[in-house]
Amino acid sequence: MGKKIEIHDFEPKIMAFVCKWCTYSGADLAGTSRMDYSPNVRMIRLPCSGRIDPQFMIKAFEQGADGVIISGCHPGDCHYNEGNYYARRRNTTFRQLMDFHGIDIERIEFSWISAAEAIKWTEVIDAFTEKVRELGRHPQYDDEIVDPYAQFLVQKDQESA
Amino acid sequence: MIEQIRNQARKLLEDGDVDVVIGYAEGSDPSRTTPVFIRKAKDVDKLIYDPRCINSLPLYLNKRHEYTRKGWKKTAIIGKGCDIRAIVQLIAENQLKRDEIYILGVPCEGQVSHPEKWDGSLHDGNRATKCIGCDVMTPHETDFFPGTKPDVDRSSPYEVTSPKVANLMELELDKRFAFWRTDFDRCFKCYACREVCPHCSCNVCITDETTPSWIDPAAHKKGVFSWHLTRAMHLVGRCTGCGECTRACPMDIQVDLFNQRMKEVVQESYSYKPGYSLEDKHPLITYQVDDREDFIK
Repeated sequence: MGKKIEIHDFEPKIMAFVCKWCTYSGADLAGTSRMDYSPNVRMIRLPCSGRIDPQFMIKAFEQGADGVIISGCHPGDCHYNEGNYYARRRNTTFRQLMDFHGIDIERIEFSWISAAEAIKWTEVIDAFTEKVRELGRHPQYDDEIVDPYAQFLVQKDQESA
Repeated sequence: MIEQIRNQARKLLEDGDVDVVIGYAEGSDPSRTTPVFIRKAKDVDKLIYDPRCINSLPLYLNKRHEYTRKGWKKTAIIGKGCDIRAIVQLIAENQLKRDEIYILGVPCEGQVSHPEKWDGSLHDGNRATKCIGCDVMTPHETDFFPGTKPDVDRSSPYEVTSPKVANLMELELDKRFAFWRTDFDRCFKCYACREVCPHCSCNVCITDETTPSWIDPAAHKKGVFSWHLTRAMHLVGRCTGCGECTRACPMDIQVDLFNQRMKEVVQESYSYKPGYSLEDKHPLITYQVDDREDFIK
């Protein structure tokens, strides 16, 4: 069942913000079922897709993520009844905002994945990783990622050495 | 017109109906006006109104300011149409009660974009962009209005008044980013855009939070994008387009382009125009089961 390991020039960093009731359980099912999927994804578990503040995505990009996945329960299945409806509206506008700002919205993926859809999870992750790999590194925030204070420390160390 | 407003303000203060009248007075030089808080009937003659009065007064009704904690039971405020839109939005967001406010509406023919451009009259050369296509020159929600209010059809969709928004949308993604890159290089995070906004009502702004520090508040490049995106995102569906953020910016960054674009998006997606209804909730705190989800896989 194991996949052939391929070596690529560029491995994208992908952040996933997921709902704990559906997508996280779905990913858990993928794990306990021994399914293979790209190891590029770093997951953060949140109570609901409605909890995913656009701030998280902005911060992820600012700190060097190449792509962001947001995922939660299908509409109508939310554990808190309506959280994912709010998430949907918020992301409709947030994507437009990022587009106007000049960031490729292909780098932001939104998907409904239920706790039973382990296969869908692996497919979404694999497809998105491939897409971001083709898009390449996300260079826009490069001079932001450098922490000016850390830079100062490094320079000081070099001078004293 | 201003005489009628002054008389009404005098009457309100003498009868004790309101505790304070917020309006405009002559400023430090002839091209400027300044906001003024009038508490005694004898000072009412200070009030003026003309195309120089571009300041947004609803800012002083926002709960994060100390003015609202002075124990004033009822505040009268001079409002031009766009300011009244901001007041209506504050009421719709439960930041303010309608019966705490007495709105003295003024008819407005447009405002001067910058005090430096004032040459004694208002013309196409110095009119603010927000005044083009304005549908609230006769204000929609008032307690007192000099003269009679004509019926105005305000159902037309939101119009983007700044041509830059359309120009930017036509550019390619990289070019658009390069535009913001060069603009935001000048930003040193003075947060003037936040301070003048009538709708920024958080007690502690997210950029002032330290545990964790979401947005780096220092004056270097780190966090500049983060700040402007967050600011725009927090105002989605709430911004009434007074344009004060751009006017207050010391580095002339056109931060309200974001807000204008988002107003357009909200109008397209949820046919919502902020600032016209006292009851309608803003679109990001409500939902429809059949909202568009063409981007979701």
